Amino acid sequence: MAKKNHIKLINQKLSEYSHSLLSSDHDPLFLVEQSDLVNICKILKTDNELDYSILIDICAVDYLTYGQADWVTNEATKTGYSRAVEQKIIADHDDEFPDRFAIFYQLLSISNNSRISLKTFTTKLNPPSVPSINKIWNSANWFEREAFDLMGVHFKGHPDLRRILTDYGFIGHPFRKDFPTNGNLEVVYDEDKEEVVYKPVSITTRPSVPRVIRKDND
Amino acid sequence: MGLKKNNDDLIVQQGPGFVTTSVDKLVNWARTGSMWPVTLGLACCGIEMMHSAASRYDTDRFGVFYRPSPRQSDVMIVAGTLCNKMAPPLRKIYDQMAEPKWVISMGSCANGGGYYHHSYSVVRGCDQIIPVDVYVPGCPPTAEALINGIIELQEKIRSEESIANG
Repeated sequence: MAKKNHIKLINQKLSEYSHSLLSSDHDPLFLVEQSDLVNICKILKTDNELDYSILIDICAVDYLTYGQADWVTNEATKTGYSRAVEQKIIADHDDEFPDRFAIFYQLLSISNNSRISLKTFTTKLNPPSVPSINKIWNSANWFEREAFDLMGVHFKGHPDLRRILTDYGFIGHPFRKDFPTNGNLEVVYDEDKEEVVYKPVSITTRPSVPRVIRKDND
Repeated sequence: MGLKKNNDDLIVQQGPGFVTTSVDKLVNWARTGSMWPVTLGLACCGIEMMHSAASRYDTDRFGVFYRPSPRQSDVMIVAGTLCNKMAPPLRKIYDQMAEPKWVISMGSCANGGGYYHHSYSVVRGCDQIIPVDVYVPGCPPTAEALINGIIELQEKIRSEESIANG
């Protein structure tokens, strides 16, 4: 009951912005428009009753193959998991990403002992982007850099949007569904040049699901 | 003081005495007796490396004493996953070590990429970057396994003929 009242309170506070409750089975999850994101976050943090003072995490999700079966048992027995077999081009050069990337924000209110999540889709044009919330929660700085590095989502207004985890000069965004799992480059020491050099990756992709023969599929 | 007097008696009776050995054996004895590894814990193997150095296994018994600087080290224990980003610094650390130097590759990841062999960001074996003397298998190897690797490296050093080969 307390949770229902709390959701009602949040709805009331955010009433001037479009938002919808996606799930309340566990912690409430709200879908918000990315154009309203900054204002909504400001209310959630600064409102005395809500008091979401801590940003726990930011994560990005790639919905490229969402809803499609990753592998069909009968075919997988012969071919394996399609993503590991087929090499696709990195989608950096695509012009549009209709509803492909979503960003999730996990918030915590200590005073209310309450956690909520926000979900927002990025802009559809390349590069996909959402407004930065670094000015509201400082902890967003590295979270947004990480999401940018691994997923290629730009955070408009971020003070220092650089890669944070991958190698210097890395090309592509490895957590995108169309990034080859083996990558494109590997490093090796060159005896003549006396330095570590890059070369094209030497191993080939392989099916990463077990090839199981099931009798009921014959 | 009585002890001193007895020793003097012994020297008077038998003379100061001497030991013979080859220079190679003497040099190798010195080298195996104080292998100082550079502290290079890259991942979870580093925890086992710490165990081997702590009081229970105490690699100081072998003269294996971890140093924070490559310039004071004889051995590099590559303990953990070697990422592409870490490969040039690893080679730099190796190059900064004074000769003679040896490398122990510890665990599946350092040996050949291990669990991350098919990853986009991991070197498939630290022997792509530096020459390795001893490979210790395991994920992670136990502290005993690492000590076994250290003893194997001592055996290897003992078999070297440093003086004769120049």
